Amino acid sequence: MKAFIALVRREFIEHKGAFLYGPLLLVVLLFGATILAFTVGRVDARFSGAMFTIAPLRIYELSFLGFGIAWSLYLIATLFFYCADGFAADKRNNSMLFWKSMPVTDFKVLLSKLAAAITILPGTVYGVALLSGLLLYGVAFVTTMINGTGSFAALGSIAAIYGHVALAILVTMICGLLWYLPFMALVGALATAIGRWAIPVSLLLPSIVAMLEWVTMGGLHPFTTHTWDYLGYRTTFPLTEDGYIDVWFLGKEPFSAISYATDLIARMDWAQVGIGAAFALACLYVASEYRRRSNANG
Amino acid sequence: MTDLSASVEPIVSARGLRKKFGGKEILHGLDFDIPPGRIYGLIGHNGAGKTTTLNAMLGLTNCEGTIRVLGEDPFARRAKLMENVAFISDVASLPRFLRVRELFALLSNIHPNFSQAKAQSFLTGTDIKPDMKIKTLSKGMIAQLHLAVVMAIDAKLLVLDEPTLGLDITYRKRFYRRLLEDYMTEERTLLITTHQVDEIEFMLSDIMFIRDGELILHMQMETVNDKFTQLVVNDPGLQAQARALGPVYEETRFGQTVMIFDGVDRAELEPYGTLSTPTLSDLFVALMQRPTANPEPAQ
Repeated sequence: MKAFIALVRREFIEHKGAFLYGPLLLVVLLFGATILAFTVGRVDARFSGAMFTIAPLRIYELSFLGFGIAWSLYLIATLFFYCADGFAADKRNNSMLFWKSMPVTDFKVLLSKLAAAITILPGTVYGVALLSGLLLYGVAFVTTMINGTGSFAALGSIAAIYGHVALAILVTMICGLLWYLPFMALVGALATAIGRWAIPVSLLLPSIVAMLEWVTMGGLHPFTTHTWDYLGYRTTFPLTEDGYIDVWFLGKEPFSAISYATDLIARMDWAQVGIGAAFALACLYVASEYRRRSNANG
Repeated sequence: MTDLSASVEPIVSARGLRKKFGGKEILHGLDFDIPPGRIYGLIGHNGAGKTTTLNAMLGLTNCEGTIRVLGEDPFARRAKLMENVAFISDVASLPRFLRVRELFALLSNIHPNFSQAKAQSFLTGTDIKPDMKIKTLSKGMIAQLHLAVVMAIDAKLLVLDEPTLGLDITYRKRFYRRLLEDYMTEERTLLITTHQVDEIEFMLSDIMFIRDGELILHMQMETVNDKFTQLVVNDPGLQAQARALGPVYEETRFGQTVMIFDGVDRAELEPYGTLSTPTLSDLFVALMQRPTANPEPAQ
């Protein structure tokens, strides 16, 4: 286990640019832009104007949730590129032989890469997302204090909102990672064999499989096949219409992370999550056998 | 070939080792044993099969035939085997994104036989500092660091495949001296491949010459010294007489004819000229003549 944790840690060290420094830089830029906007008066229209007077606490909820969505998009993109790049990194960096001189199996190495993709790497982005939320709240609070719409008495409510939204983002991230785990494993497995070509190939693969089904099994066109329907279902995060978010958005109740999480967990197809996890392990096993047998000097 | 199968259990044992790449056979059924506590030189031309043989020993490639390293099938049990086997296959293979201290910290957790204290002590007196990123180190420094890493692993077998490739003579000499002084013990076995055969000759206990996927020489250095004789002969008449004794190799250097004999009594050769033991590189040139590379057969 010690070796496995060390391997996960090396993934963090190798990719901290994308998962730590990049997000931190974005936060600094965003924070700088906010401060600048505030100092030149542009922020007034957005934060201290009518919006804060109508529903001050709702703005805190919406803005941090918006940040959560933005960070989720960033995470999806970086994890996709991580899987396509990180699984092939040892070969590309010419360090394959070094890692093969270590007493760890190829499967364990690949498993550590996938483990990093669902733990420490998104965890780091989550940490930065929390920091960005904190800065956002700081700026918003100071703004409301300056324009007289805020008060220190509201700090407790703001902290509670922060906690709820932070928890909601965490639950969304965990469910999302579990839901999309097989896709990450597939991209990683492809990258083990074909390197960064895994990016276009993994995007083309669904169409190719659907095309094959259409050719062999028939149908109106490739996009009406079972494969396409299944992939459509499997790529859609189960946070769809008529869920808690819709109800909360249209209502006046404060955001509740517990209600949100309960709704999301109930909407998850856990059998599919289990199938996905088994598929991910199978992908990793096949990729590790390829890595074990491929010419390490090549 | 000298039979080295002693009563001790060999560290490496290969029988009928064959390897094909895309239909072309690279190794043609190698048979050899490497006993513990020896320093082996595996020497051959580019493409002779050295690296493939090493890869088979290290579990990096699957081969036909049987190969056992420390009693294990290397391809099936590579991870387990690497607890007791260390290797440098390429000096540039250290992960370049790490700092030196990060590398040592990771290895402390990944490798059960790695000693961080030992690795740090091997770097004492070098220009390598713990906070340096590996990608900022020079080629020579990376070789020093890699050597420190493998020497800090308490392994029974150390395999070095062209470990000093691209390094200048100072680094190369320092590399091998350090290896001998700080690492080698009677329990450890060292296997080296290099093209700079003269530089490792002093430290070898045994040599294996591999040519076109076949072992053409496998013997202890003492036996090499006894078995092979180099004769320098100037007189054309004496040359003809010496030639009648069947040299395995003959060439003319600066007007002198040099012949190498295999298994010919020195007393028999003495009347024809000056005798000496051929250097490993002379022997290499003598025994590695390939009909494909040299249309004229070796004399």
